[in-house]
Amino acid sequence: MIDRTEQAVLHALQQGIPLVEDPYGEMAKTIGIERDKLLSCIQSLLDRGIIRRFAARINQRELGIQVNAMVAWKVPPERVEEIGRIMATHPEVTHCYERAIVPQRWEYNLYIVLHGYDPNTVEQYIDELASATGISEKVVLFSTEEYKRAPAGRVGEVIDS
Amino acid sequence: MNYRPDALDRALLDRMQNGIPLTEKVWDSIGGEVGITGSEVLQRIRRLRAAHILRGIGPVIEPGEVGLGASSLIALRVAPERIQTVAAIINAYEEVSHNYQRDHTYNLWFTLTASSPQELTRVREEICRRAGLEREDVLDLPRRKRFKINVRFRIGGNGARRSR
Repeated sequence: MIDRTEQAVLHALQQGIPLVEDPYGEMAKTIGIERDKLLSCIQSLLDRGIIRRFAARINQRELGIQVNAMVAWKVPPERVEEIGRIMATHPEVTHCYERAIVPQRWEYNLYIVLHGYDPNTVEQYIDELASATGISEKVVLFSTEEYKRAPAGRVGEVIDS
Repeated sequence: MNYRPDALDRALLDRMQNGIPLTEKVWDSIGGEVGITGSEVLQRIRRLRAAHILRGIGPVIEPGEVGLGASSLIALRVAPERIQTVAAIINAYEEVSHNYQRDHTYNLWFTLTASSPQELTRVREEICRRAGLEREDVLDLPRRKRFKINVRFRIGGNGARRSR
């Protein structure tokens, strides 16, 4: 769990640090703590896995990585663990999840998201994964429009009680 | 795209996607690694931010650690002429992190993150009611297990493979 100071820090930082000479100093002032306290707080959140990374987020489409494909695979339940690990090791796979099925209607249970510069290359990655795992039943879902992309983790403002 | 990042910008973006130093002189620390001054780092990242190439620098918060332990992927079958309207309804929810149109009869795919499965269901039902969708037009695919999440792009000289 996180305490009130950590909540205030996460809430303030989640929109990104200011791009100024002393960003941590400026953020610390906004939050009302010392810079050293802010830095040790972020480090502690990283050490405890509450923050996965403190890093730059980029818009890969602006750099030519325009293709985003989600692939849903139908994997025998007893092989999900094994296949999930194989898919996860592919460098161009950014997400790999097991999900519940909708019986009779949608029986795909393993999902990955892949990115690339062009559809052919991404198709090639998908073929590589199909042959590495022996899983052939799949649906490939290329994205044609991005309506929203935001961090899933979010922290509300500290409310004084 | 107005601004074309050079090799040094790309090296900076590669470096900064891995993590930002928690030091007093953060830009100097990064600059030292790629062989430029801290003020040049700052100048470059401001330019990258203005060009919308850099989205921001900050924490990637683990949802499960801040009380958001439930997550689902929802697929909708929406009439093509209504897709913009429905996408806008979906986007307004803070529980929605990603929302994409995809090339399939289920053509709108979004992710929901919330405190509990009950809360996920409540938000999903509310969205579907407001969007006027029938049950058979909706797939609710809750997360069972995460094998990987690592949204980083190698964009320097040895970036992702391009097709020949």
